[in-house]
Amino acid sequence: MKNIYKPIRCVVEEVIEESPTIKTIRVKPEEEFNFLAGQFIEFTVPGVGEAPFTPSSSPFCKEYVDVTVMKTGRVTEKIHQLKPKDIVGIRGPYGKPYPLQDFKGKEILLVGGGVGLAPLRALFLALIETIKDYKRIIFCCGAKTPQDYIYKNLILGEWQGFCDKFPLSFRITVDKKDDKWKYMEGVVTCTLDNLDIDIKNSVSVVCGPPIMMKFTTLKLLEIGYKENQIYLSMERKMYCGVGHCRHCLIGELFVCKDGPVFTYEQIKDKPNIWA
Amino acid sequence: MAETETYYITKKNWENFLSKKTNDYSIFGPILIEGNLHYEKVSQLNIENIIYDKARPIEPLKIFFFPFKEKILPAIEQFPNLVIIGAANCDLKGLEILDKVFIEGDYKDPNYSKRRENTIVISIDCQNPYSTCFCEPIGTRSYPEKNFDINLTALKDGFILQLGSEKGKKFIEDLKNFSDVSSELIQERKEIREKTEKIVKENNKFNFFNKIEKIKGLYEKEYWKKIKDIANCVQCGSCTSNCPSCVCLLLEDIGDKDYFKKIKVWDSCLYPGYARMASGASPRPSLYERYANRFLCKYWYMFENFGTKGCTGCGRCISGCIGKIDKRKVLEELLK
Repeated sequence: MKNIYKPIRCVVEEVIEESPTIKTIRVKPEEEFNFLAGQFIEFTVPGVGEAPFTPSSSPFCKEYVDVTVMKTGRVTEKIHQLKPKDIVGIRGPYGKPYPLQDFKGKEILLVGGGVGLAPLRALFLALIETIKDYKRIIFCCGAKTPQDYIYKNLILGEWQGFCDKFPLSFRITVDKKDDKWKYMEGVVTCTLDNLDIDIKNSVSVVCGPPIMMKFTTLKLLEIGYKENQIYLSMERKMYCGVGHCRHCLIGELFVCKDGPVFTYEQIKDKPNIWA
Repeated sequence: MAETETYYITKKNWENFLSKKTNDYSIFGPILIEGNLHYEKVSQLNIENIIYDKARPIEPLKIFFFPFKEKILPAIEQFPNLVIIGAANCDLKGLEILDKVFIEGDYKDPNYSKRRENTIVISIDCQNPYSTCFCEPIGTRSYPEKNFDINLTALKDGFILQLGSEKGKKFIEDLKNFSDVSSELIQERKEIREKTEKIVKENNKFNFFNKIEKIKGLYEKEYWKKIKDIANCVQCGSCTSNCPSCVCLLLEDIGDKDYFKKIKVWDSCLYPGYARMASGASPRPSLYERYANRFLCKYWYMFENFGTKGCTGCGRCISGCIGKIDKRKVLEELLK
């Protein structure tokens, strides 16, 4: 019998310093590993522990898997100490992905804040891969300061070049700018002012810290999005990832099995969703 | 069908049979220790001390399938062939719930699956329910109907033995000296069962079964703060540890730099750190929210998740409570 807790061995290929508190770890799995945007994995540092992350690399990329990790606790601190050639493990993928079938023909609004841009990077790259299926993409990005921006060379660099080729635009902000910053200043919800978008034919996808998701959701509702047009990536403490350990329950919903992507409609009446 | 096969066997013949089985199986059964029923290893020396006609043992049946702490990666390869005697229907129901969580879904727990395969469960008809028992009002029968390999109804000098599975049938294939069951004996069994049912019902005047649906949506701590007894909860986790159907577990990595090794340990949703995330935030920061979660999980979430309530009415959470909280009183106040 296959052991549900057995990870795939991976070799760390690269550690990319994204911001003072966030790193992207690029690993090469020793077995074939596939996932869909929005699904998550359990990432093990042997001898230390395991934590859930949504990969930030493209689901179409077969060579490696990226996870972008903020240093927050015991396990993430050890993840930040990883070096190339170190051995780690991943198991999964778990949970339900973003329902891309339902996004077809629509204007897709992505709203990400801080390390919450990580799952959106995987989603964005998946959308770009099949861009003909969607009407257009508006990608709203936020971070505390310019130094805190992750994927700077992509969001402020390479991906800007995509805007000429694809129906795509960016709205980029920081809570507090510095002298060199040439984009917007203000919390990420300010990127939602004066949106030129056909809301009826749109879906919004939000990922970021709880307080950011809360206010972004309220703002989206205010500008006319319906509860079932707002997709949220939820986070909870999690051990098993497979619906056994019950740590991740939001009401009766498992973040690991029923999520981690939920519509606001699904969870709005559950207790303490913005914890 | 094996399920309907029912025999009569004298106590002496059963004990002789079981005595021989101790060579091939590791057998556990309820034995009185300082007035309490505990699962003890059965040997030829204590076989006569097994109690068949009281109630559930102190320990929940889950300890044999989902122990407090065990290695899960790599999974355990070899398990002994186990026979567990003395489970009452509340514990069988608990096992049914554990099966739904650990083997009937998309992901099977490797240790649990193997332990389940290697274990024969011999249940009993509960004949002396505790004052804390509330099986009947919560919808669990006081006697086994399914989920057993063999069920024994203790009579004066023997047992009505009912087969419940092929595994049970195979276990007794070399059993001799049994006889068919007369209609008088079946009538006796019926009376035993009715008597137990009556005691449980008399001990529980409040009918939870009809009202339990009202618990849906009672997330807010204000509902729970009104119930004074909850303040006595010291968050020790006794209720969750003793519960035959609590499944919460945590995983701990005990490997080293380049190999993976994990253990699986019981956890309790009443512990303050249970749902606390790395950031320090918790979706259930107060005792009342955690207490609510335990009840909502038992009587609502488990039903949504697995089609069955997560409570079997065994009453261990009442008898083991350090704060002397009677769950039935809490439910009664909450649902009235």
